[in-house]
Amino acid sequence: MRRDEFLSELRRALGRMPEQEKREVLYDYEEHFRAALQEGKTEEDVARALGNPRLLGKSYAIDALLENPRPGEGVSAVSVIRALLTSISLTFFNVIVVLGPFLGLVGAMVGLWAAAVSLPLAGVGVVLSPLAAAIVPQYYSLGGASPAFFFFAGLGVTGLGLLAVLGMWKLSRLFVQITAAYVRFNARIVTRRRQGDIR
Amino acid sequence: MNIQFKKGVLELCVLVVLCRKDFYGYELVQTISRNIDIAEGTIYPLLRRLMKEGYFTTYIKESAEGPARKYYQITPKGRSYQSVLREEWTRFVKGVNALIGKEAAA
Repeated sequence: MRRDEFLSELRRALGRMPEQEKREVLYDYEEHFRAALQEGKTEEDVARALGNPRLLGKSYAIDALLENPRPGEGVSAVSVIRALLTSISLTFFNVIVVLGPFLGLVGAMVGLWAAAVSLPLAGVGVVLSPLAAAIVPQYYSLGGASPAFFFFAGLGVTGLGLLAVLGMWKLSRLFVQITAAYVRFNARIVTRRRQGDIR
Repeated sequence: MNIQFKKGVLELCVLVVLCRKDFYGYELVQTISRNIDIAEGTIYPLLRRLMKEGYFTTYIKESAEGPARKYYQITPKGRSYQSVLREEWTRFVKGVNALIGKEAAA
């Protein structure tokens, strides 16, 4: 990076600082370049040793904000704005990337629950079917099969169904735990103080 | 070394150096960066903040080999702040060294 590029990036990074102050800040770096070039250094070397002009500019801007907090905003203005921006970007990310899959997973959970609950219900129905055939033979027939077969098959299906319900219970708890962990992670990002400030 | 830690110590370094004599910006930055590995540009925001807090003043002086230069001169407030920071630093280093010594002995 050359001198002019460094200075104009720095100027841009100073943001809404008053023009007079901007000139004072830039003066320091202009003088620095002048003295270093006089020593025979190249513009690129000097700029590299100075560091990233955008980060330097931001540290002035943050200092200025902390010095002259606008009325009602207090010293925390920077952190509040930062938190707000972070949360907006996170919300956007959440809506696009997270909400879709999340709703899909919720739908899958509902479907699996319905299947798991219907299994033991069906099992009980099968167990009771010889009874139904005895009470209302005009509506229901065993088709000539042994009632014992229905009884034991029904018991098997009921047991299987209860296992499925138990499995769904565990799966649901895991799902809730993962969701909670994600929300907490989210909140931590929003409230986390940014590292690397000059102060 | 940790960048935040360095920046905190940098404040002390700038004040200590300026207690010896007046420096112009480039000269001060070179003096610091010869001893401490840091992006040279970070010293200027620090200088500006310390100046606004009244620890030193600036004046412009013509240089022999060309354009005028901005010099930094420590104030009495800066001097006393420097000795406070210096005291803190000495105590801190002593504490760390004691712990390191214990660990090496253990």
